[in-house]
Amino acid sequence: MKVLLVEDDQETLDYVSRGLRESGHAVDTATTGRDGLFLATEGEFDVLVVDRMLPGLDGLTLVQALRGSGVKAPVLFLTALGGVGDRVRGLEAGGDDYLVKPFAFAELLARINALARRPPLSDMPILLRAGDLEVNLLKRSVHRQGRSIDLQPREFQLLEVLLRNADRVVTRTMLLEAVWNFHFDPRTNIVETHISRLRSKLAQHDGPDLIHTIRGAGYVLRLPVEQT
Amino acid sequence: MQPQPGDAGRHRRRSGNGSQSGRTSLSKDGVDGLRNTVAPLTAFRRWPRARLPAARIVQRFVRTNSFRLAALYLAIFIGSALLLGIAVFFQAKAALERDIEARIEIEMVFLRDQFQTQGLDVLRRSVDVRGKGVSALDYLLQDRSGAHLEGEIPAQARLTPGWTTLFVPEATEDDGKPERTRALVADLGGGLLLAVGADIGQIEDLEHAIVQAFAWTVGPAALLGIVGGLLLSRAFLRKVDAIGRTAEAIIAGDLSQRIPTRDTGDDLDRLAGTLNRMLDRITVLMDSLRQVSSDVAHDLRTPLSRLRQRLEGARLRARSTSDYEVAIDAALTEADALLGTFEAVLRIAQVEGKTSTLPFEMLDLAELAETVADAYRPDAEASGHDLTTADHPPAMIWGNRDLLTQAIANLVENAMRHTPAGTRITVSVGISAERVTLTVADDGPGVPSADLPMLTRRFYRAEQSRSTPGNGLGLALVSAVAALHGGEIHLWNGISGLRAGLSLPKERPFIGNNQS
Repeated sequence: MKVLLVEDDQETLDYVSRGLRESGHAVDTATTGRDGLFLATEGEFDVLVVDRMLPGLDGLTLVQALRGSGVKAPVLFLTALGGVGDRVRGLEAGGDDYLVKPFAFAELLARINALARRPPLSDMPILLRAGDLEVNLLKRSVHRQGRSIDLQPREFQLLEVLLRNADRVVTRTMLLEAVWNFHFDPRTNIVETHISRLRSKLAQHDGPDLIHTIRGAGYVLRLPVEQT
Repeated sequence: MQPQPGDAGRHRRRSGNGSQSGRTSLSKDGVDGLRNTVAPLTAFRRWPRARLPAARIVQRFVRTNSFRLAALYLAIFIGSALLLGIAVFFQAKAALERDIEARIEIEMVFLRDQFQTQGLDVLRRSVDVRGKGVSALDYLLQDRSGAHLEGEIPAQARLTPGWTTLFVPEATEDDGKPERTRALVADLGGGLLLAVGADIGQIEDLEHAIVQAFAWTVGPAALLGIVGGLLLSRAFLRKVDAIGRTAEAIIAGDLSQRIPTRDTGDDLDRLAGTLNRMLDRITVLMDSLRQVSSDVAHDLRTPLSRLRQRLEGARLRARSTSDYEVAIDAALTEADALLGTFEAVLRIAQVEGKTSTLPFEMLDLAELAETVADAYRPDAEASGHDLTTADHPPAMIWGNRDLLTQAIANLVENAMRHTPAGTRITVSVGISAERVTLTVADDGPGVPSADLPMLTRRFYRAEQSRSTPGNGLGLALVSAVAALHGGEIHLWNGISGLRAGLSLPKERPFIGNNQS
C-alpha cells in the first residue's frame, strides 16, 4: 500500500515511516504543507497521514484543498490537538479518521489498514462470511455451522466491525468509536468484556476460535487456516 | 474731513478707534469681552506646557471627555448668545436712529415753513426759544458766509446740506465734553443754512446697556460652565482613576482587587460592573490554571517517579530479554496511565475553558444513559454489580454528546469501582419543568459526609478508595461538563449508598453564566 506521510516533526516522521515500511507499505514523506499538497495531487496514494499543525500550510487547509481538487484518497489526521472540537473540525474538513498524539504505532497501523480498504457504502454486501460463520446484515442474524446464534445488538455490531476488517487488527479505541461512539477511554474493560462474551457465544459451537487478541494492539478476526 | 450722509456707521467705527474709545468703541468692547470670557478655555490648554504639577492636574481635567463636552456646550451657548446680542444691538440702534431722524425731519419741515411764511426774525426767535427747552434739539443758523446767527451748536465752517454728525459741547454735562450730534442741514434759500440736530448719546447709552447686560449674563454663564465642567470631569476622573488604580493593582499581581461601584446605575458604574464580572471570570480561569499546574506538579510526580524506578530497576537487574520485556511492558502501562491522566486534565481544562467550538445539539439524555448503561452492563455483571436503568420518556436537552456520554460513563464507572460486588446500581432520569436530572444511585457503603464536597476536586481521592485504580479526575470532569451545560452535580448519601445527580437545564444556557 502506498502511504503519504506529511509530518513536520522529524523524529515522528522517521519513527512512523520506518514502522510503516517494516509493515510492508511504501511511504512517501513531506515535512511542509505545500510539499505534502504537491505530492498528494501528483501521486496516487492509498492513504494520506497528515499532521494538523504544519509549517506554511496547515493540515486542515491542505485536506480542504485536496478535497477541492478531487483527491479522494482517505486521510488520517495525526495531531496533538485532541479536543472534541478539534476532531469534529478535522472530520468536517474532509478527514476520514483522527488520531491524537501520543499514539501507539499499532493503533496508527490498524487505522491506516482499516482506512485503505474501507469499501464504499454502496458496495456493502448483505452477507458477510468468515469460514463457517455467516452474518446477514439485513436480517441481523448470525449462523455458525448452520446453527443460529443469538447476539445482543452491541455484540452484533462488534462482530460486524471485526468481520468488515477481517484479517486486520482493530484496536480497542477503534471499537469504542465504531460500536459505542465513545470518544474517550473508559477506565473499565467494556471492550474486553464484550469481546469475551461474543467469543464465548461464537465458540459454543465446535468451530475454531475466530477472534484473536493481539497483545498491545487490539483484536483480529482471522480464520485458523491463515493463522498458521 | 467732511462726513457724508450714509457714512455714519463707518465714521463711528473710525472715531471709535480714536481718542474717544471710552464711549464709542462699545461694540468692540463687547466682542473683546467675549474673547476674554472664552480665553480661559484656550489658556487651560496652554498651561500644562509649564510643567507645573498644578498645570498637569488642570491638564488632566481639561482632557477629560466630560470637560470637553461641557466646554463645547458652553462655546455653542456663548456663540448663540453672541448672535442674539448682535441682532438685538443693531436692531435697537437702527430703530432709535430712525426715530431721531424722523423727529429732526419734522422739526426741519416746521422751521422751514415758518421761515418761508414769517421770515428770518421769527425763525431766529423760534430757534432760540426751542433750543432752550427741556430735551430740546440742537440748532444752528448760518448765513451765506458761514457766520453763526443763532442756535447752541457752536460756530463752524459753513455746512453742506444733508445728514451729518457734529460735536456739540453739552452745557448740562459736567465734563463739558462735546456730544456727538446727528444733524440735518438744509438750505432755506438765499444762502441761509439751518441745522437741526439731536444728541445721539442716548443711543450710545443704550448700546452700552445692551453690551453690559450681555457681559453680565454671558460672563457668569461661562464661569459656571467652566466650573461645572471641571466638577464633572473631576467626578469622572475620580471614577476613571479608581478603575485605573484597580487595574494597576491587578497588574501588580493582586487579582482580588475589584473596581468600587456605587450602584448609581450610571454608565461608568455599569462599565465597572462589567469589568468586575470580567475579572471574576479571569480569576476563575486563573485559579483553574493554577490548580491544573499544581495538580500536574504534585499528582503526576508519583507515577512519573514510579516509571523511572521501574526503568532504572530493569536497567540494573534485568538479565534476560524476557526480563526487559516485562519491565518495558510495565513501563508502557505506566506511561499510558500517565498519558490518560494528562488527557483527562486537559479535557477538564478544555471544558472549563469553554472552547466555543464544541458541537452542541438537542439530544435525549435518557437515551444516552441507556447507551452507557448498555455498554457497561456486561462489565458490571462480570464484577458482580447489578446495573439497571428504569424506562424513561425522552429527556431532551441542549448539549454536547461526547462530553455528556463521558460524564454519565464516569458516574457509572465511579459507582462500579467504589462499591463491593453485589451492589445494585441504578441509573434514572427525572424530568421537571425546567431541568433534567440524571441520577446514578448505588446501595453500597456510601461516602463519609466530610468527603462529599471534596469528591469533585481534581485528583481528590477519598481515603477508602486510595487502593482502587483511578486518577481522581472522573467526578471533576463530570462537574466541569455540568457547569459547561449550565447545570451542576450533586453528591449525597441516600438511605444506603451514594447518589450522584447530574442536574441540567432543558433550555440552552446563556453562554457565560452558571460557571463559577
